[in-house]
Amino acid sequence: MSPNEILKGVRVLAFTTGYAGPYAGRLLASYGAEVIKIESKKGGLDTFRHYGQHKDIDAAPRFIECNLGVRSMAINLKHPTGGRLIRELAGKSDAVLQNFRPRVLDKLGLGDDDLRKANPKLVVVKLPGFGSEGPKSSYGTWGFNLTAFSGMTYLWNHPEQDRPIGSQGVYPDHLGFVMGPTLLVAALLNSRRTGKGVTIDLAQIEGTAAVLGTTYLETSVNGDDPQPKGNHYAAAAPHGCYRCQGEDRWCVISARDEEEWSAFCRVIGRADLVSDARFVNLQARLSHRAELDGIVQQWTEARPAEEVMNQLQTAGVPAGVVQTGADLLQDAQLRHRNYFSPFADSLIGPFEIPRSGFLFRGMNEEPLRLPNRLGADNDPILS
Amino acid sequence: MTDTAQPIALLAGYRVLDLSSSMGAFCGKLLRDLGMDVIKVEPPGGDAMRAEPPFARGHAHREGSLRFAYLNAGKRSITLNIAKPSGRNMLLDLVERVDVVVEDFAPGHLAGSELDYETLIERKKDLILVSVSGFGQDGPYAQYKTPDIVGNAMGGLLYISGDPTMTPCNPPETQSYYYTSLFASYGVVLALWQRETRGIGAWIDASIQASMALHEHVAFNYSAEGRVMKRAGSQHQHNAPANLFQCKNGWIALFVTQTHWPLLLKLWGDHDPALDDPKWINSNLRRQHADYINAQVTSFTSRFLKEDLAEMMQKNGIPGLPVNSPSDFMKDPHIQARGFFSAVNHPVLGTFQQPGNCFMVNGSRTGASPAPLLGQHNQQVFCGELGLGEKELALLAAEKVI
Repeated sequence: MSPNEILKGVRVLAFTTGYAGPYAGRLLASYGAEVIKIESKKGGLDTFRHYGQHKDIDAAPRFIECNLGVRSMAINLKHPTGGRLIRELAGKSDAVLQNFRPRVLDKLGLGDDDLRKANPKLVVVKLPGFGSEGPKSSYGTWGFNLTAFSGMTYLWNHPEQDRPIGSQGVYPDHLGFVMGPTLLVAALLNSRRTGKGVTIDLAQIEGTAAVLGTTYLETSVNGDDPQPKGNHYAAAAPHGCYRCQGEDRWCVISARDEEEWSAFCRVIGRADLVSDARFVNLQARLSHRAELDGIVQQWTEARPAEEVMNQLQTAGVPAGVVQTGADLLQDAQLRHRNYFSPFADSLIGPFEIPRSGFLFRGMNEEPLRLPNRLGADNDPILS
Repeated sequence: MTDTAQPIALLAGYRVLDLSSSMGAFCGKLLRDLGMDVIKVEPPGGDAMRAEPPFARGHAHREGSLRFAYLNAGKRSITLNIAKPSGRNMLLDLVERVDVVVEDFAPGHLAGSELDYETLIERKKDLILVSVSGFGQDGPYAQYKTPDIVGNAMGGLLYISGDPTMTPCNPPETQSYYYTSLFASYGVVLALWQRETRGIGAWIDASIQASMALHEHVAFNYSAEGRVMKRAGSQHQHNAPANLFQCKNGWIALFVTQTHWPLLLKLWGDHDPALDDPKWINSNLRRQHADYINAQVTSFTSRFLKEDLAEMMQKNGIPGLPVNSPSDFMKDPHIQARGFFSAVNHPVLGTFQQPGNCFMVNGSRTGASPAPLLGQHNQQVFCGELGLGEKELALLAAEKVI
């Protein structure tokens, strides 16, 4: 059996757009759920269909990436017949996944209670930016500005900079698209047992805050105002990101205890440092961090990042190449895990794509599937 | 806003034995948040995470690690030396009574203690074992050590993080551990579904590198388009204004699409008339001239307080949000109204605000619980569930088995 069939027989209606909602659907589809994405040609297309420089709305790379394996229906939700079709489909489905703004579906007569009339066991999972309720629930959000709101942007910086940096990326979406399917399957397990469906409200801002819990405790327990730490860590030295041979090549290194520290010294041919008063224990190394980092970088700069990592890890010292997208595609470990699912051909040509953060040992993964073209499943599903 | 009814615990009745330390702790926490009973198994001297900073009031103390306090909230704690034969036997007795085991030892370590998957399923045939590790249970890097910064580096997130003129910058806390734990918990509910529908167990092999390597399209962009993503500070690759902008008292995060651009110009009454040229509707063109656009927008944003500007923009349909400090976030009226934080009372840490569940079920949220003290539930579990007597417990303690 394949893990790609675990959710076989589970049908999910997906009202999703952008990154988090669609990718959540993809992660359900890749484990076997029948995910039916519902869009409307009348102003209700997934925004990622328009992302980039292409003309064919099925050929946007970002859309394909986030919607692998989903079926597609084009239904005008504002038309009475469209609404009726959705209510009928809900009767034949197990779950609804949606990341529209709060109350958009309710106003169309497709709220949770409307849909549950046809199916009391229906699970509904919502991924609104600020949640379904609360004074700012109508706010427009993106992964980028949610990162800022949570405090993460402020903290994601080197120490003592004159402006925040954070990330160009959308970490909250990444959190939401794994939490969403997790909650959806948990809710299915619950409704299987109780016979009653539940509605899950996962505010993406709170999903983001869930990975800053320690930071908030520094504020609430200690009254501190935590500041950016960059690559520093109070319990390891050296600990950081060091320049290596070549353009923009780096390796991270961390020595968390005396054993790792002395192994590091041996590898770089500086056994003398172990007894050097400046570096004799963690406290000493932390107080001479600038000198220490200088010594580390002097050694790394003269070597390729891969060599730095392999030499250190072989000696039991944590180290890792700061890998680029090109490095990932060639990574021996990821290849060993059969991590990339290949597509020999598609509307955007051939490509390979990451599958998932975990695998089921002893089970063989099937290739992932492309999304169906817009509306391709209208007839098969409705007839 | 919330129902008065007791919040629904989705997976009440399922039980977890959490052998993990730093890497997998957040997986156990998420399973607890889903309503499972999570028993954390610590060595008699305490989980190594109890020695991880930051600490309450700055003092290293085994009950004072704030990291431990958050990531183990609501779990029960027992102590057990699984390297000793009697400890190992007690662990196997417990394995029979649970649904899920979470572990994050170095790959092969459990096998070395004769507690490998095959041995565990002899005692519980449909057990779900979840292994969290840096690179997976086998393969060329399986034995490579993985502090968080190594996970972010090898997974590709670090390379694109930070200002392009500076060293790549690691995100706060241990995001690679958390993110992998999230994936691991998705694996658990999938495996539970498989068990309920097909009656079989599973061994889930979660990898930190693999979890991080699907971030931000880094691998996909290279594979599909041959494009290597690079550090770009806070500037979005394809859009402008999509960055952080200076306000009077801090910064605001803006991401202005083609839809929002005309709304921004309308709100910003005295903008340079040159910006009214319809060509600027195009996000790609604005991105090509990001320096010009960003300087113009800053001349507007710098007149306001960040909170006021965000509110004014949102009222006008533009999705701006302030760059908050953690304490700004905790004080925000929306977050407070939703009851995200709740008061927790801990015998050593005192009373403080801690995040509860990050989701609501039928409009209700399960609030925060305190982390357990070391071995707090020894008696409850060993006597109450394994049927040991007080004398046996004392003997086990004297022999340092518990």
